[in-house]
Amino acid sequence: EDAAEESSASRELVAHRRRLVDEWKAWRAKIRSDGDFVRKVERHEEATEVIE
Amino acid sequence: MRPILLQGHERSLTQIKYNREGDLLFTCSKDHVINVWYSHNGERLGTYEGHNGSVWSVDVDSKSEFLVSGAADNTMRLWQVSTGKCLYTWEFDTAVRRVAFSEDDKQVIQITEQRMGFQGAIRIFNINQQDQTNQSAQPLYEFNPVGSKVTVIAFAKDPTTIVTGHESGKLSLWDVRKGEEILTKERAHNDFITDMQFSPDRSYLITSSKDKSAKLHETKNLTPLKTYPTETPLNSAAIAPLRPYVLLGGGQEAMSVTTTSARQGKFETRFWHKVFEEEVGRVKGHFGPINTIAVHPSGRSYASGGEDGFVRVHHFDENYFRSRPYGDLGEVED
Repeated sequence: EDAAEESSASRELVAHRRRLVDEWKAWRAKIRSDGDFVRKVERHEEATEVIE
Repeated sequence: MRPILLQGHERSLTQIKYNREGDLLFTCSKDHVINVWYSHNGERLGTYEGHNGSVWSVDVDSKSEFLVSGAADNTMRLWQVSTGKCLYTWEFDTAVRRVAFSEDDKQVIQITEQRMGFQGAIRIFNINQQDQTNQSAQPLYEFNPVGSKVTVIAFAKDPTTIVTGHESGKLSLWDVRKGEEILTKERAHNDFITDMQFSPDRSYLITSSKDKSAKLHETKNLTPLKTYPTETPLNSAAIAPLRPYVLLGGGQEAMSVTTTSARQGKFETRFWHKVFEEEVGRVKGHFGPINTIAVHPSGRSYASGGEDGFVRVHHFDENYFRSRPYGDLGEVED
């Protein structure tokens, strides 16, 4: 609610955005649970690993 | 966010690509040359010389071992990234418009232009990673799509499935083994599809079009997810990791006609909120239309290549990562 007042956006617009985010997150969760799309391991993340 | 200007091309840029680590940036141009640069400081590491025509497309494998390029000289070439050596040249009847590696690096897909009595073709080649100069001249699969010309192409997640974007605005999924269209979206766009790039996991993709919009689509069924309408024809669109944005570039040449002497070009990369479909910002710089945009795989920088012959690399500053234009609401993970 604070965020809504600060951005002076209308209640409807915030509700609309919230709905879009909820829809997006639900879709992403479904994609992840289907397991068809798994990002390949990033090599630059491996590269930062410190081995002693 | 002061950009690094890469000055090494004499004509307009056609495509730019980061490697998987993001330390290298590959750029190709109508000047027949492919360059590779260190993305952090813009230093040129080398060039890949040999093409005798505009280089339309370039791609690098995930290990930064091989580079593949397609050009107006009717050839596709395989290069050793580290030495600049051309390992193999495939020859065709018409120009090679787009090339791309599969996710496992084992195959390359390409399109050749429909022209002078030759049908447009889609071909897939196996890449011999051991005996590198001994590639198969014959494709593993080849077929001729009928109807609207194919303008962009890429493997979907599964290398037996490919996605094509067309001159008419059509988007299609194909089974490469049969050369058959599995799914078609005739009106994905209303005009020429100019670019197509995937999300990091390839589950969705973005297309840009001369119809002045960019769109997000689900890969496996081409379901439209989001639309980003602008007022100018778009040449490129990219999905930014880390932040919930997509980047769009294009512009009409007539816009560059100006009476004031501007030190900074007017052509802008537009940032849109990926989920809200709202524009969040623009970055000026180029003196001609933006032809190609790529985002660093970790989302730390982006690069744009222009009709003006320049590549501009922008390293995002802390503000970009800290800013929350929509509060915490607008933050989505992927």
